[in-house]
Amino acid sequence: MPLNLEPVQSRFRPTTSYEEAFADELEAIYGRGVHDLPGVVAALNETGVRPADGAEWTEESFTREIARLGARED
Amino acid sequence: MTNSLHTEDGLLTLGVRDRWYALCPSRQVRPGELTRIDRAGEELLLWRDSSGVVHVQEDRCPHRAARLSLGVHMGDRIACNYHGVQLDGDGVVASVPGSPGCALEGRKALRTFPAREHAGAIFAWFGADEDAEPAPLRVPEPISGGDWDDFLCYVEWDCSYLLSVDNLMDPMHGAFLHRNSHTMFSGKREAVFQIRDTDTGFVFEKTDQRGVNFDWSEWVDTGGLQSVTLDIPYPATAGPGGPFTIVACVTAINEHQHAGFFWRCRKVRGWERDSWRFLYKNRLEARHWQVLEQDRAMAEAMPADAWARENLYQHDIALVRLRRMLRAEAKRQAASRAERRPARAAAR
Ligand code: FES
Ligand SMILES: [Fe+2]
Repeated sequence: MPLNLEPVQSRFRPTTSYEEAFADELEAIYGRGVHDLPGVVAALNETGVRPADGAEWTEESFTREIARLGARED
Repeated sequence: MTNSLHTEDGLLTLGVRDRWYALCPSRQVRPGELTRIDRAGEELLLWRDSSGVVHVQEDRCPHRAARLSLGVHMGDRIACNYHGVQLDGDGVVASVPGSPGCALEGRKALRTFPAREHAGAIFAWFGADEDAEPAPLRVPEPISGGDWDDFLCYVEWDCSYLLSVDNLMDPMHGAFLHRNSHTMFSGKREAVFQIRDTDTGFVFEKTDQRGVNFDWSEWVDTGGLQSVTLDIPYPATAGPGGPFTIVACVTAINEHQHAGFFWRCRKVRGWERDSWRFLYKNRLEARHWQVLEQDRAMAEAMPADAWARENLYQHDIALVRLRRMLRAEAKRQAASRAERRPARAAAR
């Protein structure tokens, strides 16, 4: 029987350009050692990544968005 | 069942009995389908009944041994496609359409393995005595939910599961084979190891470094499920939440191939958990995959007789111990099987 090797098992659709940009900015922020919520929100507002309505990030909008983006898929 | 399951070598290379084995990811068994897989020396049929409960049975019709996986899924029963014999999820013959009322009807004639689903995978109990009750399925804490979150990475490799066990109990390869990875780039290239006993196995650990690279692994055998737990630090880019833990289970497909289950776990909650999940889906899964591919390339290329000519040193004492434990259990089971078999034959 052929062996099964699937590199991507955590999602079932390609990533979007928005997710790509979000992930890049978040990794850069974390990489600078900023790991606290207020710090992350402030740093994200220094970037070009914005919620769908274009507003500044708040702790509330950020946690809501990251919960949506990080939802379990199956 | 293959004959080799009667021998010490067979039990060692296919997996000892009286254990739970992870079989495949839950999503591999879709509603309404009959799924055939080979695991731990058994030819298996997996299917879900109308309420979604998964059944694991021998892929062998009790009438004349046709493959049930070529049959028909009928909701809460399956029907063999050769002469239409119908079986339920307990392995009982529900109907023999060609000869109604025949003695086969109502008999539990199909070997049925106790099955459970947990953490995105299907597990089954492979009892030495097929009628005995299974031990409870106790899974390691990091895949028990609660404060932990996990992603399952499932792979099939073209080598014996024993080479994967060796690989998991060999933390030192992290600093060499994975030196250019996202997680194992730092730390010392030499170490002294020690073994520490636990209630369910043992920990193999560096005496002079922890939390820097792949610095320890733990063999866990609860009497029901064998697994390896280890942890590896994440770089700062992975965000808050500390290191990740791997819970690994390996299951022979046959003597030369195996299925590997790597649950990548993190003890993290709230937005930090969501952030990890997001980065896992978009960045980390691919990097973890590259690391695992380095392991696969090494393991699949190993000579078949690797164990025959080795020169082991201090970093290999966990392998030596584990191989000895597994062989002792295989030997014990082969002996008790040999004792039981004449008694069974006489009873027939
Ligand atoms: S072999 Fe299955 S019904 Fe005859
Ligand atoms: Fe490795």
